[in-house]
Parts: sequence; structure tokens; C-alpha cells
Amino acid sequence: MQTGELLALSVFAGVYAFIISEKLHRTVAAMLGASIILFLNVVPWDKVYEYLDLDTILLLAGMMVVVNIARESGLFEYIAIKTAKFSKGSPLKVLLLFSVVTAVVSAFLDNVTTVLLLTPMLIYITRQMDVNPVPFLLAEVFASNIGGTATLIGDPPNIMIGSAAELSFNEFIFNMTPIAFIDLFITVGIIYLAFRHKISTHKKREEAIKRSIMTLNEEDAIKDRVLFRKSVLIILAIVVGFFLHDTLGIKPAVIALTGASALLLWSGASPEYVLEKVEWATLFFFGGLFIIVGALVETGFIDQVAQWMTGYIHSETQAILMISWFSAFASAIIDNIPFTATMIPLIKAMGGSLNTYPLWWALSLGACLGGNGTAIGASANVVVVGMAYREGIRITFMEFLKIGLIIMITTVAVGSAIIWLKYVGM
Amino acid sequence: MININRLILRKFKNIAGSRYEEILKSYREFFLTEEEMRIPHVESVLLAIDRYSGEVPEGIFRLLEHYSPQRATVIYVIDENVCRLIRDTLGEEDSEKFREREKELAEKFLKNVGSRLNNSGLNWKGDVVFADKTKYIEGSMENYDVLVIGKQYGLESAKTHHISPLVFRIVQHVTKPVVLY
Repeated sequence: MQTGELLALSVFAGVYAFIISEKLHRTVAAMLGASIILFLNVVPWDKVYEYLDLDTILLLAGMMVVVNIARESGLFEYIAIKTAKFSKGSPLKVLLLFSVVTAVVSAFLDNVTTVLLLTPMLIYITRQMDVNPVPFLLAEVFASNIGGTATLIGDPPNIMIGSAAELSFNEFIFNMTPIAFIDLFITVGIIYLAFRHKISTHKKREEAIKRSIMTLNEEDAIKDRVLFRKSVLIILAIVVGFFLHDTLGIKPAVIALTGASALLLWSGASPEYVLEKVEWATLFFFGGLFIIVGALVETGFIDQVAQWMTGYIHSETQAILMISWFSAFASAIIDNIPFTATMIPLIKAMGGSLNTYPLWWALSLGACLGGNGTAIGASANVVVVGMAYREGIRITFMEFLKIGLIIMITTVAVGSAIIWLKYVGM
Repeated sequence: MININRLILRKFKNIAGSRYEEILKSYREFFLTEEEMRIPHVESVLLAIDRYSGEVPEGIFRLLEHYSPQRATVIYVIDENVCRLIRDTLGEEDSEKFREREKELAEKFLKNVGSRLNNSGLNWKGDVVFADKTKYIEGSMENYDVLVIGKQYGLESAKTHHISPLVFRIVQHVTKPVVLY
């Protein structure tokens, strides 16, 4: 192994260790790693633009601006109250409706924002219903990760995969949405079966529960009616833009940035205030990671691993199964963003001997749904478990693991079978 | 050995940052508190109506059912100052005609509200009074636990305000809980 490779691999391993142990903030770890790579010229400065995936970073930034402005209108609290009222205090309806709404919102916005905005309402309703909130919170987490799998913009791994493999929004809709749809209902079914004794209320109390939930007024959540309308219209326009980006020959990042600029202009929101709330730490984390993984590509390490792997993988079936399951188990333990960043060049390098098209879907499936396996598998899991803890509700690591692994294995099995049937079996 | 729960909380702090507190703060504005969720003990309710109050919404009857007071009184208030003004300007006969018509309207209102209260199984009595619309209610509230009143009570027909200034005054002066509809 040459010095460059050794350096790149050491930095990569060190950053991974810091990310897993959380001894350092993941952004600090990634920035530090990238700085070492650049300082030691493992990746020359004039090649940085090749590895820095601006499509991903700008798409995330654009969507963050849109969400930050829309949040000020009370749009998400409005959605949460509407969902609660639709459920009419029936635990089963709460379970189903919150799962569906979480999945749909997560398909278009980032999972962390979605669960941050919906969890307080879910905890409030379960307290009103006097039922154990744990199954409802778990269903919300799983739904968020499944919903994120459904679209190009639903989860950062999908954004990265879409950008690297030049896959369109519609290709994601065609390939991943049906899988997410089936997986969502399977998940709700599993949660219901596993916790059916804990999610029922006394018949006598149902009317009182319904009444107290119906006293919530969604109109109270709207802080700025004009901004509310403008936010809904711009979000809808952005979604339409995503559907058309391929036809128009425009990158998804451009759609998101145009939407963000339009909403900034139309709403008259202070750009300083809105941009201050952009999650710069996440964007710099991505930037750092791209450089660190870029160093592995630049030094030829990724090519060697790909060659070694293709020596063992002889068919697309093997590749689909290996990538989806390996990604799932890896993503259940480590952050799926650095994992996907590492896998992307690897799959690209395998392109010489295999058709990589189905492999991208296998990666998306494993990286997104693998997060359901453990409490630390995805950011949404950590946020819900953390919020629950702050509210005095304990979801232990083992409790999460027991149901999470079942959900992960079932959903990945269903997903990989669909991908296999679509591209190999039929 | 990593303490997994501590790791999760550290991750939570890094990911959610201050957003969690901000979101909770905005939810607190419309979530009911523990105290608000408790059903208060209510013995007597005064439901004040007039020609501007409009129909009493179904939610109010459901709320009253929930309180299940021993005594519910429905008072229809006709502004005595208006009657005096008509008598002073148009004469006794026209004033009497006005009083009669207002009373007829009041009884119709009372009948509707009363039938709904009967359906809810509530023990109630009704009355039509000619009085000052604010002073009468403020004075009566010494004998009741809760006042139920419409936002449009005492409002002129042009309805230039969303909440009647009379209701504003009553809410400020009455020391008992007021349910506005």
C-alpha cells in the first residue's frame, strides 16, 4: 500500500471512529479529516471540485431555506393538528395516520425536521389517550425512514445517489416509491401486532378523548396566514419542479434553490435570519466527507476494493443482495451518510463488469431502511428517542433493537425482492 | 465500553440543537396544560343571549353536558335603554309594540336553546329580561360558577367588531370563568 493510500485510509478510519463514538461532533471530525487530506495534498486543491458534490450540498441548502421559512408560518404544526383531529382519538387511526403523514412529509422534507415537528403532537395525543406512547413513536420513526426512501429528496443518501448516478426524481418515484408504500403498511402491521395490547383505550373514555383532541384548533397553529399560503404554493411548485426537472434538463439542486429564492423574495423574510437557521454543520459535514472519500478514490484505494469485490460477485443477483443487505446492516450501526459516500465510488468502479443501475436502488434501499435497525441507525431515531427521553418516556436501546431489526429485515427483504424481480428475475 | 444511552443523548443534542426547544415553545401556545385538561366542578351556569348572539354552537351543549351543572339558566337580555329611547322618541304605543316583538323573538330563541338543553338532559330555566346588557350579567354572576356568552352579544347589526365591546367589558369585570363562543 502506498503512502497516499495509507494516509487516506487512516484519515477515513479515524473520522469514522469519531463519528461512531460521537466523541467529536461529526462535522468537526469530517472537517478535520478533510483539512488533513488537503493539507497533505492527498487530494490536490484543483481536484476538490471533482469530489465536492455541489448538487447534493446545494439541494440540501435550498430545501433547508424553504423549510425554515415555511416553519415560521406554522404549516407543520397545522399538519400535525389536522392529523390528530382526523384520528378522532382512535389509537389505531392515530398509529396509521401519523405513520402515513410522517412518511409523506419525510418523502419531501428531511426526516429530522419531520419528526421534530410531529413528535410533540404525537406525545400529547398519546397522553390524552392514556396509552403507552412507545409503539406510536416507534411507528413514527420507522415511517420517517421508509418515507425518506421513497423519493430523490427524502433522505441524504438518496440525494447523494441521485447526484452521483444522475438518477432523476421520477426514476426514484418509479423504483423506490412502490417499495416504500408496501413497506410502510407492512411496518404499521408489524407494530400493531407487536403492541396491540398496549394501543387500546377504554371504550368509556373514547368520547372524552375525542372531545379533548377536537378542542385543538389547527387555525391557532397558523402564525402568519399569508406566509402559510405562500409556503404551501412554493412547496407545491418545488415538488412539481422535481417531477419535471429531467424533462426540463435542470438539476434538482437548481429547482430547490429557485424555490428557496422565490420564497425568500415573495415572503419578504429576512435572509440573515433564514440563512442563520440553515444547518451549516450538516452541509460542512457533507463537504468534509466528500473530500475524505475523494481521497480514497484519488489514491486508487476504491478501485482496488471494487476489483477485489467484483472477483467475488459474479451476477447482478449477487450484487443486489450483497449491496442491499450489507448497506442495511452497516447503516444500522453507522451513519448512512458517510457509508453512502463510501459506497458510491465503489459501485461506480464496479460499472466495468456489472450493470450498476439496479445496484443504485439496492444501495438506496439498504442505506435508508437499514437506519431502522437500531436506535442510532438514523438521525430521526436519535431525535425521537431523545425527545421521548426529555418527556420522561424511556425507549431503551434493546427495546428499539428488538422491533427495529424485525422491521429492517422485513422491509429490506421485500424491497430487495422487488428490485430483483424488476431487473433480474423478470 | 460506550454507554449507549449517553451516546444517544449526545447525538440528540448534536442533531436537534436548539430546534427542539423552539418547536416545543411554539406547541405550548396551543396545547392544553394539565390544569386546563382537568374538568372543573361546575354547579351552576348562566347562558346569556340576545338578538345578536346567533345560534349557540353544538360544542357548547357538549361542554355543558360534560360539566353537567345542577342549575343552568338561560337569560335573553333586551336592552332597556333602546326601549326607553323608542318610548321617548316614538311614544308609548310604538315602544310597547317593539317590546312585544322583541319578547316574541326572545321566546323563540329560548325555546330553541331550551329544547337542545333538554336533549342533553340538563335541568334548566329560562327568562327574558329588559335590562342593561352588561350590568345585568355582571350583577348576576355572583350566583353562578360559569358564564357562557357569544362573542357577538350586544354587538350592533353592522357587526364591525369580531368581539363585541360589551363582551370585552363583561370578561374584564366578571371574576368567574367565561366560555366564549
